[in-house]
Amino acid sequence: MKKNKLIFWAFVGPSLLAFTLVVLAPLLMGIYYSFTNWNGIAANVSFVGLDNYIEMFNDSSFLDSFIFTTKFTIVSVIAVNAIGFALALLVTRGLKISNFLRTIFFMPNLIGGLILGFIWQFIFTKGFAALGELTGQGWLLGWLSNQETGFWGLAILLAWKMSGYVMVIYVAGIQGIPEELVEAAKIDGANAWERVKHIVFPLIRPAFTASLFLTLSNSFKLFDPNLSLTSGGPARSTEMLALNIYKTAFTFREMGVAQAKAVIFLIVVGIVTLTQVHFTKKGEVEM
Amino acid sequence: MKSKGKLMVILSLVLVFGLLITGCGADDTKSTTENSSDENSAAKVKVNIFQFKVEVKDALEDAAEKYMAENPNVELKIQTVGGGDDYGAALRSKFASGNEPAVFNVGGPQDVADWKNKLEDLSDQSWVDLAYNGVLDGVTVDDKVFGLPFNQEGYGFIYNKSIFKKAGIEAESIKSYAELKAAVEKLDSQKEELGLKSVFAFPAKETWVTGLHLSNAALSNEFENVLKAYESKEVDFKYGEGLKKLIDLQADYAYKPDGTKGSLNAVDYATQVEELFSLEQVAIIQQGNWAYGSIAGIDKQVAQNVGFLPMPVVGSTEDSIPVGIPMYWAVNNAKSKEVKDAAKDFLSWLYTSEQGKKIVINDFGFIPALRGYEGPELEPSDPLARDILKYSNQDRTMPWVFMGYPSGWGMNVLGTNIQSYLAGDMTWDQLVKDSQKEWAKAREE
Repeated sequence: MKKNKLIFWAFVGPSLLAFTLVVLAPLLMGIYYSFTNWNGIAANVSFVGLDNYIEMFNDSSFLDSFIFTTKFTIVSVIAVNAIGFALALLVTRGLKISNFLRTIFFMPNLIGGLILGFIWQFIFTKGFAALGELTGQGWLLGWLSNQETGFWGLAILLAWKMSGYVMVIYVAGIQGIPEELVEAAKIDGANAWERVKHIVFPLIRPAFTASLFLTLSNSFKLFDPNLSLTSGGPARSTEMLALNIYKTAFTFREMGVAQAKAVIFLIVVGIVTLTQVHFTKKGEVEM
Repeated sequence: MKSKGKLMVILSLVLVFGLLITGCGADDTKSTTENSSDENSAAKVKVNIFQFKVEVKDALEDAAEKYMAENPNVELKIQTVGGGDDYGAALRSKFASGNEPAVFNVGGPQDVADWKNKLEDLSDQSWVDLAYNGVLDGVTVDDKVFGLPFNQEGYGFIYNKSIFKKAGIEAESIKSYAELKAAVEKLDSQKEELGLKSVFAFPAKETWVTGLHLSNAALSNEFENVLKAYESKEVDFKYGEGLKKLIDLQADYAYKPDGTKGSLNAVDYATQVEELFSLEQVAIIQQGNWAYGSIAGIDKQVAQNVGFLPMPVVGSTEDSIPVGIPMYWAVNNAKSKEVKDAAKDFLSWLYTSEQGKKIVINDFGFIPALRGYEGPELEPSDPLARDILKYSNQDRTMPWVFMGYPSGWGMNVLGTNIQSYLAGDMTWDQLVKDSQKEWAKAREE
């Protein structure tokens, strides 16, 4: 018994310590600072009660970016998962170049978000413009200069980056499906779509749970591509929540208000993702 | 079997905690090895410098080498983080982590107020008396000087001299808004022959160009200096009409990606300076002397053929350009006396010694904010810097007051409102009202 405890702490202790230091402690300190008027430079910190939270709700930019973020999350969760799943089906068909394709599709995920933002900024503002002038397509001109193109720019960027990642999760799920089930369905006369709908979909529910969770939380918390692609502009119309918090803290120098926003942000992300996991888990099938 | 299990546990414990300890203690071990490898280092005074001017990073490191060669007991370490906001955020996290630099940069009255407890009083330094009138205003509180000005910078309408010549326009004679507008119209009518896409390139995406620099032309006439702006509880937009005219003039005659004014919001600095202006597709841009490097990087010929036109604010000064101090050096007062003395000595050496002055002018390419830079070897080499000196000598300058705007107001309130105005989502009156409201709100706290 005693020995078991020792082993238990030997394995749990270090990660618990690291978790406490880099996650729990900053979280608690953050909650504390959200009730103060801290300006980012230690020393004179005084307690202001709920003032920061009240100011946050009076800040229309926070609500705007909340709505923008929600819309963006809905679009990109659907886009990323649909594309990722389609890619997964493509690379599990036993094509000769499957492995090559997997590598190619996964690669965008290895590029850092900041750099990705700058690359796509170039594509949208220069590449699209050049194409538009060449073909006379007006809608290709002036990208990222208003909210609409900024929104779709961000959605395209994230779909391009993350589809390959969820593809890997779906591939793992699809490969876990026993061959005989698919074969039996084939013999019974099920066509390709029916096989996907009745065999593949139900059996990769766990992969859906994981992918939805990852895409949901990642698009909700998106920061670096947002910063480098549009920087929230024009006129703060494409500012997502994380960037809004960052700007409150580091350009408006209101650390307390930013911290209050971050606390609310944490709660919202928690509620949304936990609800999603709860509901998708319910429908999973045991094999 | 039992003892083997125990051994494993102990081994894994040792391994894990060993990793933890070495991980956390890496700094200590490194410094001890450094000490033992260099006998003198124990006596060395270490000065950490944390600065923001990316353009002079290499030159500043060379200067530090030269200083260390003369002063072997001092070790200077320079770290550079660029850009306005990024530097402020990085500096805060540096201080919060306990790894405080000895020398850092402050921008103006707001920074001085924020960092007040950390700033060393520099009033007794020799360079204080050499400063030009007004350049220390932003960092002086209760007659104490807390910062050494980096350099002077100026901006205005940079124009391409050869295009103006071809179009038959006498640039020297443009000293009012009406004259500027006439010149712009003349250029516009000859666009085809001159090979221009348009007259201006107007980067509304860069809110520092519109929200800080352009607005400064009008607001520096409303507020006398940066301190007045900093202390003001509200903003009138007394010369708002003049500001609107400057925005409209640039927007009307600017290159627009899809033909609408709203698309100006996607035009950035690189498109404005490196693409459109350097390739001679536009004739005038609103930028400062720092753009020289960008232009010369694309086309040296064009870079030698540029000058400044004034920024005429209707109803106020029409023949001047804004000239000011972008950033100041500050010394951390929490450091030991030796470190502070070494830091002050390095700054004085850099800006007042013969060797230092040559570095400041020739390697940094700075326009000095201190007197005593006379002589043929200390002439600024690029045409934009020479133009700024010319304007200064003719007394045709206005101050920079945007360092006195409330935090974030210039770029993220006024600058973004100008974007909405260009996109047609906001009228000029709404822009003025909203910007006034936000200024007053920021000053309440």
